[in-house]
Amino acid sequence: MLKHIYANLVQRPTRTLVSMIAISIGVVLILVSVGLSYGQLNDAAERTRRVGGDIMVQPPNASLFFALNSGTLNERIRKVVEEVDGVESVAPILAKFISDKFHLVFGIERESFEKVNSTLRFVDGQIFETPDEVIVDTMYASSGNLTVGDELELLSRKFKISGIFEQGTGARVLMSLDTLQEMNGTPDKVTMFFARVKEGASVDEVFERIQKRMPSYKITKTSELQEVMSSTAPGFRQFLSVMVFVAVVISFLIILLAMYTTITERTREIGILKSLGASKTYIIQLIIKESLLICAAGVMLGFVLTFVTIQLILVTFPTMPVYIPGLWRVAAASLATGGGVLGALYPAIKAAQLDPVRALGYE
Amino acid sequence: MSKTIGMTQKRDIVVTENLQMIYTVGRVEVPALRGVDMTVKEGEFVAVMGPSGCGKSTLLHLLGGLLVPSAGRVCIEGVDLASVGDAARTELRRKKIGFVFQRYNLLPTLTAEGNIELARRIHGNGHGAKLDVRDILGLLGLERKLGHKPSEMSGGEQQRVALARAVINRPSILLADEPTGNLDSENSQMVLQMLQDLNRKYLQTIVMITHDPDAASMASRILEMRDGRILNRVKNLYYAIEPTRG
Repeated sequence: MLKHIYANLVQRPTRTLVSMIAISIGVVLILVSVGLSYGQLNDAAERTRRVGGDIMVQPPNASLFFALNSGTLNERIRKVVEEVDGVESVAPILAKFISDKFHLVFGIERESFEKVNSTLRFVDGQIFETPDEVIVDTMYASSGNLTVGDELELLSRKFKISGIFEQGTGARVLMSLDTLQEMNGTPDKVTMFFARVKEGASVDEVFERIQKRMPSYKITKTSELQEVMSSTAPGFRQFLSVMVFVAVVISFLIILLAMYTTITERTREIGILKSLGASKTYIIQLIIKESLLICAAGVMLGFVLTFVTIQLILVTFPTMPVYIPGLWRVAAASLATGGGVLGALYPAIKAAQLDPVRALGYE
Repeated sequence: MSKTIGMTQKRDIVVTENLQMIYTVGRVEVPALRGVDMTVKEGEFVAVMGPSGCGKSTLLHLLGGLLVPSAGRVCIEGVDLASVGDAARTELRRKKIGFVFQRYNLLPTLTAEGNIELARRIHGNGHGAKLDVRDILGLLGLERKLGHKPSEMSGGEQQRVALARAVINRPSILLADEPTGNLDSENSQMVLQMLQDLNRKYLQTIVMITHDPDAASMASRILEMRDGRILNRVKNLYYAIEPTRG
């Protein structure tokens, strides 16, 4: 049967190729969406967690995706957090999203940041000393071929790079809080506070105290960031569901169309098979296996195209985090194949039910 | 291979009784067969002749289980095709019947060998005696066409491949629908000779539909049809010597 299926596919190379490409588009759609979404999510969670501190305080209804927030938290609130029993230090941070390069800049207060943070490691240079200095992470530096002492233009202002730190902490670029507040036009405003709990104090208890003291504010334990982010990311699940749905529908429709036209073209062949004594099951299997082969080839092509697409994205946006969980690769392959097989089912049943005499007389 | 002279007891392969087939076209009922009674014995080569529209093809399709009769019985080796379901008819077609069509009906995507292998695969493994693909292609003079697709073969070659496909599983009966209808006289003669050889060497039971009296003359018995009925039975003297299984 495989020889027959292979011969059928080779006989109509254009249709086979178009079907494969359509299936692969579904796979690319799922994997690239997942890769970008999970990449952003994991990266944001990990970077935020590595800023340090145990508890994060944000304004009411703020998003954990800092790119969606601006400076709306009054700096004076810091005092309220510091007064909570068990809090050792509080670091205010202003986050600013640089849309043309698709990354975040954090404005930090050097002294308080160093108190809550323990992960910032310099590979070259040192932290900024003046308002015109910034530090950048290794990925940002390598993507822009930047070294310490180079000039960097951000938001129409020129800075000097004073240090390069290992990527993974906070944002790609860190600068003085005052400078960023001034550039953002939001003096005395920040995006969030990171609070470090005193040694020996319970994070859970301090967390509850802050919640009690500031009931309308968004309080998050940094240890739970990843989990909270994936469950509260705006439209994250819905977005992925839509992508999956679209991919499955593409697979379903393209295989339905391909197999439907195939059996219409091959009506006479099906009549011949029936005259040879091929059962309905045999004919259904033939069509389904043919679609399975197209889907399998389409999935393979999809994996290759996903790799190429991601490389293109990384060339365009070198700092863009991409992460495709292994299970999603399996899911994308299964969903595209499942959609294809479902699409082949109706034509297969229709073929199996053809009247052999009419099929043999089909021109 | 030996031949014996004289009558031997042969079992009935095909029996039809009052076989009727009525097609419904819109609200009009068109009778194609009006009560056909016939018997074909094992090893017989029967030709059915008659003008277009007399019901020959319908008869062949009924014998092959491709159609279900409106009334009457059609038995193949004792199984009444009118009383069994589609699956059983398909099974019978797979195990006991071989078809040869006027238009060859080879699968265009497969080679000669592939077409014959497909018939073997559909038939299934380990069921009854089968011929070797290369042997049968050799017998039909097609050894050099094994890897050729139908579009790369002449009509005569295609029909010989179709013939090989039809007999590869040693069916109880070979049904041939105008097998020489699309062939020139040389190829026609070759195909007819092969049918006769299969009948003689392998005691292959054959029912052949034809317009051509010369083709019919190769059969051991000729049935003439008109208006959905069999008119008379003609004993073909050519077959004075009874064939035996080789």
